[in-house]
Amino acid sequence: MKLIIGGACQGKLTYAKETYHITDGWADGRSCSRKDLSSCRGIHHFHEYIRRMILSGEQSAALADLERQAGEFARTLAQENPELVIVSDELGYGIVPVEKTDRLWRELTGRICTCLAAQADEVVRVVCGIGIRIK
Amino acid sequence: MFHVITGGSGSGKSKYAEELVLSAGKGTRIYVATMIPYGEEGMQRVERHRKLRAQKHFRTVECYTGLEKLVFPKDGIVLLECMSNLAANEMYEADGAHEQTAQAILRGIDSLRAQVRHLFVVTNEVFSDGLAYDEETMRYIACLGEINRRLAQRADAVTEVVYGIPVKVK
Repeated sequence: MKLIIGGACQGKLTYAKETYHITDGWADGRSCSRKDLSSCRGIHHFHEYIRRMILSGEQSAALADLERQAGEFARTLAQENPELVIVSDELGYGIVPVEKTDRLWRELTGRICTCLAAQADEVVRVVCGIGIRIK
Repeated sequence: MFHVITGGSGSGKSKYAEELVLSAGKGTRIYVATMIPYGEEGMQRVERHRKLRAQKHFRTVECYTGLEKLVFPKDGIVLLECMSNLAANEMYEADGAHEQTAQAILRGIDSLRAQVRHLFVVTNEVFSDGLAYDEETMRYIACLGEINRRLAQRADAVTEVVYGIPVKVK
């Protein structure tokens, strides 16, 4: 599993496509299904998938249980699709959001990506289109 | 040793900082908690951190304002968490330092550094969501930015934690 992170509009997807030679088989986190996650080669806008998980009620809002749920989600995904390339915005570099859903979203994205980073054999942070391998 | 640990929200900063304390050798482990647990979510956050620290033999000291009043033993291994809360408290709480927030906090940090063996400070990257906030919030962001810069000048090491991965900054 590979995890590609960074701010919005940094060229993460282009970097991932070129680096891992994946031209097709990408799922889009804004619209894909849970099933797509286990069969696609790569997913981009992964943070938007997490937001949809929250909005659909698939993810309970209990903060205390968040890490266990995040760990479970990451482990299952790694088992189902061990070669998956995940492209996600790095959230959490701002002021605590006013909306509860937004707070939960950045918290859950952080916890899930931390678990995915632990599982991944490679983690790359893309800044200005340039990938910096941090794991 | 003075080590500053920074990162985004939910990035695993606390866990990493606690591991640093555990590997810092013998001494009195002290956790300086700065977050006032407002409301249900605040309580849940505090509870989560307490669970993380359980079994790690920390003495917990709550300090919401007035860092420089703290007195600790010489063999102290101190973990202060989180600077973003302490700065907000000093700016907005009735007994805070208000306009003098950065100076008061830095005096507190210097006092702790002079007292204890190791000091680990967790702070927060709140500077990159590209949103424009009201004047008050912008003042807070500027203040925390100044504190972080001045902590980093003093620090022996600065680490940014990115989704659980430590990235060396200094």
